[in-house]
This record gives sequence, structure tokens and C-alpha cells, in this order.
Amino acid sequence: MRDDDSAEIPVEPYGSAIKAPAIDIVDLGIRYDLRLTKRTTLKGSIADMFRRTNGAENHFWALRHVNLSLAQGESLAVVGPNGAGKSTLLLALAGILQPTEGDIQTHGKVSTLLTLGAGFEVDLTGRDNIDLAGAFLGIPQREMDELTPAIIEFADIGPFIDAAVRTYSSGMKARLGFSIATAITPDILLLDEVLGTGDQTFRSRSQVRIRELAGKARAIVLVTHDLANVSDFCNRAILVEKGRIIAEDDPKTIIALYRDRIAHQKLLAEEDAQRFATVPTASSHH
Amino acid sequence: MTSPTSEASASNRRRARRKGSVALIRTGLEEMFGRRRLTRFLVGADIKRTHADTLFGQLWWIIDPLLQMAVYIILVTIIFAKTTPDYPLFLFAAILPWKWFSTSLGDATLSVTGRQQLIRQIQFPKIVLPTASVIAGTLSFTFGLVALGIVYLFYLDRLTIWVLLLPFIAAVQFLFTLALGILLSALNPFFRDIQNVLRHFLRLWFYLSPGLYSLSAIAHSNKIVYDILSLNPFAVLFDAYRSVIWGSDIPVVGGKTVYLPPGPPNWTGLLIVTGVSGVLLLWGILVFKRAEPAFARIL
Repeated sequence: MRDDDSAEIPVEPYGSAIKAPAIDIVDLGIRYDLRLTKRTTLKGSIADMFRRTNGAENHFWALRHVNLSLAQGESLAVVGPNGAGKSTLLLALAGILQPTEGDIQTHGKVSTLLTLGAGFEVDLTGRDNIDLAGAFLGIPQREMDELTPAIIEFADIGPFIDAAVRTYSSGMKARLGFSIATAITPDILLLDEVLGTGDQTFRSRSQVRIRELAGKARAIVLVTHDLANVSDFCNRAILVEKGRIIAEDDPKTIIALYRDRIAHQKLLAEEDAQRFATVPTASSHH
Repeated sequence: MTSPTSEASASNRRRARRKGSVALIRTGLEEMFGRRRLTRFLVGADIKRTHADTLFGQLWWIIDPLLQMAVYIILVTIIFAKTTPDYPLFLFAAILPWKWFSTSLGDATLSVTGRQQLIRQIQFPKIVLPTASVIAGTLSFTFGLVALGIVYLFYLDRLTIWVLLLPFIAAVQFLFTLALGILLSALNPFFRDIQNVLRHFLRLWFYLSPGLYSLSAIAHSNKIVYDILSLNPFAVLFDAYRSVIWGSDIPVVGGKTVYLPPGPPNWTGLLIVTGVSGVLLLWGILVFKRAEPAFARIL
């Protein structure tokens, strides 16, 4: 764990040579349909049809009116409270969520480390799963063949690589997943708090790996609660609340602002609690 | 061999704009044919998964139809006291294709909902999922033809050159299964009832299809029922399979039936089913592509 005051390793912007933006987002809106989100059954949706609700209450804008441009060489931290829309932004950048409104453009290969261990076929061997992952990610087989030895070496699961994944421990699965996800060097790296994976030794190795990738990537977007990472990795930051970007500045300013807002909200909550508490409770500690 | 869609494109622009139907269908077809490597791996995984945990493994594709045949023979010949010459072969012409159809359709229906974690984490053309399920079912069906070979050993006199037409009839069924599989896999995330209802619906469908009986038997006795049941694609398919594997039966006046050896299938019927399946497939792809953006939001 790093603390806030440790020496920063600034990510150098590529001087003044600002090329085409790596990411360009114009008036992005992503809307969830709550009727669909709550695992509908036929009965439910037929009932909904007759209920005649007005549209507004069935929708939820996870993001709205988001404008963002990220130049090559920039690395952006996205901070904000839970449910602010940070992860939705990442999913949209990865192409997993389509915009309901607006326009997203990315230039270069986008990779997201969201992919850790998802979609393993437990009846296939680790080796087969590497190929399958490559096919899912659209990486040509020739390239996968070149990458495979390094993936296996980094995963460090020994002879298990030729055993069915169902025999793996959860730590082994996580290691193989991480190793696959970080095998390709993307132009745009999307990170969603994956900085702690597996056991202690693997965690430090994975930290090194992510730093390497971050060094090679042309642009980084990092979503995190760990504010220490922010000033380490990023040279720009945005604060997201309720689906909107409410501030954009250098990481230190944004962190300070975010801390202020958290503190302020905590204060408000405490005031509320005190006002409504008839009996003082032990739960409100400072 | 890589087509433009076989790799994640380097630059990407996504806008909130509704694509036209023709463009969507074209994209869907490109994805189905373009991501062949992914499809191949998924098919391989599917085949390894089915019966991976059972003692006989893949052999179940041979044992299962034989056991099913035994059940139907007991039911029909003993309980309903119906006699049809070489009835086991008669049954087999329907049991095997139906097992293929119902397994593939069931797997395809669950193919999208079963990968919800992955869909939330990687961007890839989801249409390969039901496609791979149907192809995997088809390979298993091919393997299951061994069972047909075993049954033929007892009725060698029925084995004719016409049996070589099996792949053509199977191709028509493949098209029909793929179309329905893509359609149901796209709808199941929205209406989870489908996966529950499907099993019962399929059972009803089988009994309404001339698998245990022959439709021509009721051609004279009940013209209306005959006409309605003939609209069923599986009336055409079962009849075609039976024509080339077992032969055909033609009822004549006086309640008697003339039995003919294997011969050509009903080409017109097959052509119509092919056409209907083709249209259904394009429509299924369109529905799938329209539903696809919502998968990551609702799963």
C-alpha cells in the first residue's frame, strides 16, 4: 500500500506534441431501463403494459451530458461515490455499453482489465482457455501463439495449465485471468480497481505489471476509491456524481474537492442523525 | 483467414443512432461468418462440457436415442397395439433429428443468459453464442448417427442409396434450428419464462409432429387436422427423413395401407421449409441485433 505523501511518479505527458485525442466523448448519456433490469417475467411485463406508467420513473440515467476529451499521453482518474456512474463510463469506453445519447470515439486498441477470469470454460484446460480468451478479444491466433508462453509464465500455475480449470483454486483462476488480461499492450488502458488480486506476492507482481502497461499505454482511465493511486498514476482527474462530471482538474485538486464533499456529506448525515436520534446511539463514531 | 470483423478494430466510434434493418442483418451475418475461430472454440467447449461428468460421456448421444426408442416401442406397440413394419427404424427416423433439434434449441436459448458475466466484461459479437450452440448440437447429432447405423444392422433390406440424402434434409433442419435458436436466445434475457416453457412446448410439438405416427394415416379420415398438422415444418422434415430411411406408407381405400420402400423425399415441402427458415433466420438476426445492446444493461 502506498500512502498519499509518498513521492509521486508523474506520468509524463508527451510534451506539447498533442496529437489526435485518444478518447472523445460528446454529450454521452447512458440510460438503464428499470423495467428490464428487474429480471422480468412475461407476467410482469404484461402487467406493466396495462399499468400505464409514465416513462420517467422506469428510466435511470447512469450517465448524462458527459463531455470528455483525453489526449494521447494523458491518464485520467475517475473518482466519485458509489453509483455515480464511474463503472458505467468505463463500460461505455470499452464498448460494452452502447450510448443512449451522444457519441464516443476511441482511437487505438482499448483494453479493460475488467476481464479477470470471467468467462473461463471450466471443462477446458488453462491453455485452451487462453486461446478462447484470445478469440473473444479478437486477437489473431498467430499473435496469441506468441503471447501464450509469457501468459503461462506470468500466471505461474505450473502443470495445472494443462488441467481443466474446474480443478483450479480461486487464486489460480485469478492469476491466469490477470495474466491473460494484461498480456496485450493496449493503446488505451481502462482500469477498474483491479490493483489487488491474489496473494501477497502475486499482488506485488501484478502492481508492477500494471505499472508497465500504464507506462506503455497512450492513455489511461482509472476508476478507483483508492485515492493514493490517483496521484500516482494520473495527471488529470474528474469527479463524477449522479451521472455527471461535476469537476475536472489536476488530481490533487480533485482529491481535495472529493474529500471535502465526503466530509461535508458526512457532517450533514451526522447532523441529521443527531436531529432525529431520540436516544444517543453508539454507532455514530467520528 | 481473417475478415474485417474478426478483430477488434483499432479505432471505434459509437453513436446513439438506430441502424437500419438491412445494415443490422448484414452486420449480424458478417459477425456469424467472420468470427469463425471464436465459434470453433465455443463449439469445442460445448462438446467437452456436455456429458463431461457422466460415465459414458459422449456415448450418451448413441445410448439415449436407443433407450428412447425402446420406450416408444413399448408404448405404441403394446399399449396402443399399433403395428407398423420395421417400426424401430420408422421411429428412429424421427427420434434422432428431434433430439438434435430440442437439444440445440434448448442450449441456444440459454446461450446468452448463461454468459452474463462475460457479456458485462468483454465486447464481442454475441450472435456467435447461439450459433455455436446449434453447431455443437449438430456435431453431436452426427455422432449420434452411429445409433442409426446400429438399428440399420437389423433392417439391412431397408438400407438404400436414398439414405445419402440425409445431409440435405439435415441442412434444411439446421437452417430452421439456427433461425429459432437465434430468435429465442435474444428473447430469453427479457422473458426468462421462455426457458421454463420451452421444454413443455417442445414435448407438445413433438407429439403434434408425425414422429411416432405417420401423417398420411389420417389424410383421409380427417382432412382438416391433416392440413393443419402439415403446416408444421417438422411434418415435412420427419416425412422426408422417413422417406429416405424407412420408406413411406400410403393408405388406400378399405382401411389398408400400402408400404413403399425408401424413395425420394417431398422436394416441394423441403423447398418451402427452406424458404421459411431463411426468412425466419434473417428476422431472427434482426431481432437479435436489436436486442444485443440491451444485454449488457439487463443481465
